[in-house]
Amino acid sequence: MLYRTAGQFKTSYKADQALFPIRQDAVLLAIILTFAWVIFPMTASEFAFQTLLIPILIYSLAAMGLNILTGYAGQLSLGTAAFMGVGAYACYKLIEVMDPILAILLSGVFSAGIGVIFGIPSLRIKGFYLAIATLAAQFFLVWLFEKWAWLYNYNASGAIQVPNLQTFGVYVTGPQASSVTQYYVILGIVTLMTVLCINLTRGTLGRTWKATRDMDIAAELIGINLMRSKLTAFAISSYLVGVAGALFVFMWRGAAEPNLFDIPLSFDILFIAIIGGLGSILGNYLGAILIVGLPVVLNTVPEALGLEIKSATVEHYNIMIVGALIVFFLIIEPHGLARLWALIREKLIIWPFPH
Amino acid sequence: MKHFTTLAAAAVIACSGVAAAAESLYVPNLSYRTGPFASTGIPLMNGQRDYMEMLNARDGGIGGVKIDFEECETGYSTEKGVECYEKTKGEAIVTQPWSTGITLQVLPKTNVDEIPILAPGYGFSPMADGKTFQWAFNAPSGYWDGADMIVQYLESQGSLEGKKIAFLHLDHPYGKEPLPILEALAEQKGFELLPIPVGLKEMQNQSAQWLQIRRERPDNVVMWGWGAMNAGAITEAVKTKYPMENFIGVWWSGQDADLRLVGEDGAGYKSISWSFPDNDAPVMAAIKEHVVDTGKSLSNESEMGGVFYQRGIVMSMVLAEGIRTAQEEYGTPMINASQLRWGLENLDITEERLAELGMTGMVAPFSTSCADHTGHSGGWMLQWNGSSFEKVSDHLSPDVASYADLAASKASEYAEANAPWAVNESCDSAS
Repeated sequence: MLYRTAGQFKTSYKADQALFPIRQDAVLLAIILTFAWVIFPMTASEFAFQTLLIPILIYSLAAMGLNILTGYAGQLSLGTAAFMGVGAYACYKLIEVMDPILAILLSGVFSAGIGVIFGIPSLRIKGFYLAIATLAAQFFLVWLFEKWAWLYNYNASGAIQVPNLQTFGVYVTGPQASSVTQYYVILGIVTLMTVLCINLTRGTLGRTWKATRDMDIAAELIGINLMRSKLTAFAISSYLVGVAGALFVFMWRGAAEPNLFDIPLSFDILFIAIIGGLGSILGNYLGAILIVGLPVVLNTVPEALGLEIKSATVEHYNIMIVGALIVFFLIIEPHGLARLWALIREKLIIWPFPH
Repeated sequence: MKHFTTLAAAAVIACSGVAAAAESLYVPNLSYRTGPFASTGIPLMNGQRDYMEMLNARDGGIGGVKIDFEECETGYSTEKGVECYEKTKGEAIVTQPWSTGITLQVLPKTNVDEIPILAPGYGFSPMADGKTFQWAFNAPSGYWDGADMIVQYLESQGSLEGKKIAFLHLDHPYGKEPLPILEALAEQKGFELLPIPVGLKEMQNQSAQWLQIRRERPDNVVMWGWGAMNAGAITEAVKTKYPMENFIGVWWSGQDADLRLVGEDGAGYKSISWSFPDNDAPVMAAIKEHVVDTGKSLSNESEMGGVFYQRGIVMSMVLAEGIRTAQEEYGTPMINASQLRWGLENLDITEERLAELGMTGMVAPFSTSCADHTGHSGGWMLQWNGSSFEKVSDHLSPDVASYADLAASKASEYAEANAPWAVNESCDSAS
């Protein structure tokens, strides 16, 4: 029906290897992009920007970074939040000397460096043992954010505050910046990173990572340099996570204390990646919508229906409903929401003749 | 389909119901009845809510307008706090952020959105500078006032020269807040200050910190604790047999429930406070009559007798008085956010007014002004006698002048870091 592929002939290998071998996928993406770039910014309220659009994009980017490492290269990491913190603190120091958007993009370089250092143990240890090594990064870096006063400019409260900064005469960070401007900056960066990631994971590097993930000994035997494969995964993943961390603080939160980057945030991002689907780019967005967006929407439901429920009770229901939904989605498709969508799409293509 | 129509009809009726009730002042509170700090949050939230409910039931609100006191649950999470702020700011005439993290985040936004931020007894101490922080209020007393009063009290017990005071604090912006004042006082009075931070993860297990206290043998321990840290410290102090009468907490470390855990063993523990529970106060009788007996309260009797529930009442009183002051000034009961700002800036809570409100002795008289958004009411030293807190000192007033310069320099530092920051120029002549 919607996904009828009749009449779409491929006459060359190039066409068969295209990003969208089926035209409907390209149309669907165009619709989503129109919504993201044109319709949402025109219609969204301040509330929608601050609690739905902006956080979903930022969390998606962080999950994408983790997905490169865990989903594509198979290296389990529990230190995502700490690497986000490195990005945020690097950005805080960089804005003193450069344009804020440039600082955000550059801050990822610092977290990439730290990521590579903490990735070195991955050459010797695997699986859960590596998770413990990244957990060390998590604890060490948060401790460092607390103790190294230079990082937060010797501020008495130990927190970093985002100043009002301009790019080309428009406020992009701080309370003076409008949500639409911030949204477009984030959307631009996230779109760019997504395109980069799709290309990377489909290319040589992505195949190297997947080979490492599926069986590292076999990968080594066919001539893949494991050290390079693992460390590039750590570097690129940490870069994305670092940029996400800088966006998280500078484009959304506006202030941050060291314990913001503690382990609960790491888990949130890991859950987004797992529920969305490891080893997929789309999954990060679906996971972020479920984990970040859904609770916000659920919170507004009783009020919209005119039910008199206390705010605290709504919060309790919310936690239960989101938890139940996570279990539900993982039961019907253990490989995550991206796989669920892939199956639905598959079924739509062969509809109405299932085999 | 039929069900759907019924539901839709119900929704329409409900929505029109909301529209009809629009003649009210929307006063949201970013509550935390869930999460790790719920045990401290629930009594405070109940106190705040019950006072407003009582005004609605007894007087039909304030100035004849009902108060729409609505809670938005944050669970003390900064993320949820920002969500709640964004959700409520459209209609709200005030925002009550509650956590230090949320206050830090919301403070710069309120200056742009022009909504008063009311943080009674918490938040950033330099907020007292009304010229710089024209939208922020932390009446009746700030943390720097608290630190100064504690040192004054200790000094009244004997000279501090050569003494050693341990400062056990949460390693968090909140816990670090009084450090500059304590350091300055240490230098001035000649005592040795020993800061001992407690990480967020160590709140429930402070054996390392108390081992250090045992080794260093400080003459006094001053605590800036919150949530689970208070109970952790108090039980640990009992366990290590630290003399309780030398142990003093800030006002958030003086909750009855934390001390009931140790009961008699905690006798002697002190806490500075700008509020005092008085079960016989007329306001408590009014709440009992209009809220508790009509089944509208969420509280219970033992909680209502505690320090925190009645502190919630005082906080709501501050807000209600701000609303009333603004209504009188502008001659309209339906005030807006900037009119409420004027009201909070011109609070004058005298002894007579407290008597009228039926709250004599529950808070010290204070007044705010354009330049002073705190009021510096001062407070009392409370002591745990094994079953409840009682006053053990006369009214203490902080020596505000001694750190006025520091407050002004911190405030201008903040304004500079957040430039362009709108300041209230008209305050110069008033101050």
